[in-house]
Amino acid sequence: MTTLLFLEKGIWLGCAAIGFAVLFNVPRRTLATIFVIAAMGGLVKLALLQQGAVAALATLAGASLIGLLSVLAAHQRKAPPMIFAIPAVIPMIPGFFAYQAMVGMIELTVEKDPTLYSKIFFKTVNNGLSAFFVMLALSIGVAIPMLISRKQTIKRLQHDDNLEVEME
Amino acid sequence: MQATAPSDHHELGDMLLEIGALLMVSGANTERIKITIDRIASAFDCVSDLMITNHALMLTLTYPDNHQAFTSVKWMPGMHLNFNLISDISTMSWQIVLEKWSLERINQELKQLNRKPLYPRYVVLLLVALAGASFCRLFGGNLTEVLAAFVASFCGLYVRQEAIKLKFNFYVSIFFAAATAALVAGAYFYFHPNEVYSHAFSTSVLFLIPGVPMIHAISDLMDGHTLNGIVRGVNVMIMAFAIALGLTVALVAYKF
Repeated sequence: MTTLLFLEKGIWLGCAAIGFAVLFNVPRRTLATIFVIAAMGGLVKLALLQQGAVAALATLAGASLIGLLSVLAAHQRKAPPMIFAIPAVIPMIPGFFAYQAMVGMIELTVEKDPTLYSKIFFKTVNNGLSAFFVMLALSIGVAIPMLISRKQTIKRLQHDDNLEVEME
Repeated sequence: MQATAPSDHHELGDMLLEIGALLMVSGANTERIKITIDRIASAFDCVSDLMITNHALMLTLTYPDNHQAFTSVKWMPGMHLNFNLISDISTMSWQIVLEKWSLERINQELKQLNRKPLYPRYVVLLLVALAGASFCRLFGGNLTEVLAAFVASFCGLYVRQEAIKLKFNFYVSIFFAAATAALVAGAYFYFHPNEVYSHAFSTSVLFLIPGVPMIHAISDLMDGHTLNGIVRGVNVMIMAFAIALGLTVALVAYKF
């Protein structure tokens, strides 16, 4: 039953990614792949969270998997990796943390009692930093596999060298 | 290597700027624009030097044959995300190199690129609403909250599309959308104060998150395009602020 509930989350992760994919106007042939990649990356993150990992590290692992899979999918489906990776990581965005941090900040502007203030301050900074680092982990996790696998750059550099030799 | 007439150089430069602007507007990162333009320029035995900012593209083409140069600046409109266009241009740039396309051929193909949205408007609205509902479910909302998030995302995106059509400021459109979504999501819970509202309320605006500029900000910084990365980062912060402002309107209105 718990496994089923866990897998159900994969469907929601995929649906959220598809919504953004359509908003970004991705090619139709990539939609199914985006659904699967988003579900896998998101489930890795959730599984790590259940094992007690820090949110940012779990996100980094999930986002890196998405980056890696999207590089592989790019060769299969003939589209740049970012087209798969960006819609797929968006379901991992820490919306709830960010929301609580924002509400906390509004409370801080009106709160006058010192003890309550420090309590709210603690919660707000905690949520805000979590949101910030999770977002950072998302972007870095996606970017790293793409940076490592950028073969086309090497191709281009060789070409440019030839060109320079010819010019001389 | 074939010698090209000066008018061809002009045409090549304009074509490269057009491609670069299309990529930028559709939501490509700086490194991709640079690579694509370099790739096409090298197919014509030219060296390209680019300066890319968020709203302008400056290109200098140097020709190996007669050491002439072409320099021009192109102004670009604001972002209008279209990943299909990026994918098509990427494929095209490889074909240009491998199949040695002529300038006329490239210009023809550029005209034929599909720049229109692939999906009908109601499909986008429904799927984005479904994405909002999925977010709500993921963050632990129950059935009522999921439904509220669905309706709220639908209304929010509708308002944003209409606001952009009416040529409102980009950030103001986001603020309108966030306020609408949050007000719609909160409406049901305002009249049923015993139910938990926070999941639906916080996830109703998530469809507005600037995911593309956020990821590009980091990838630009990592590629060494520091200025572009900072500009995108600041842009993300303004959008986030617009969303927060919209949420605040609803929070104050409903006294949550």
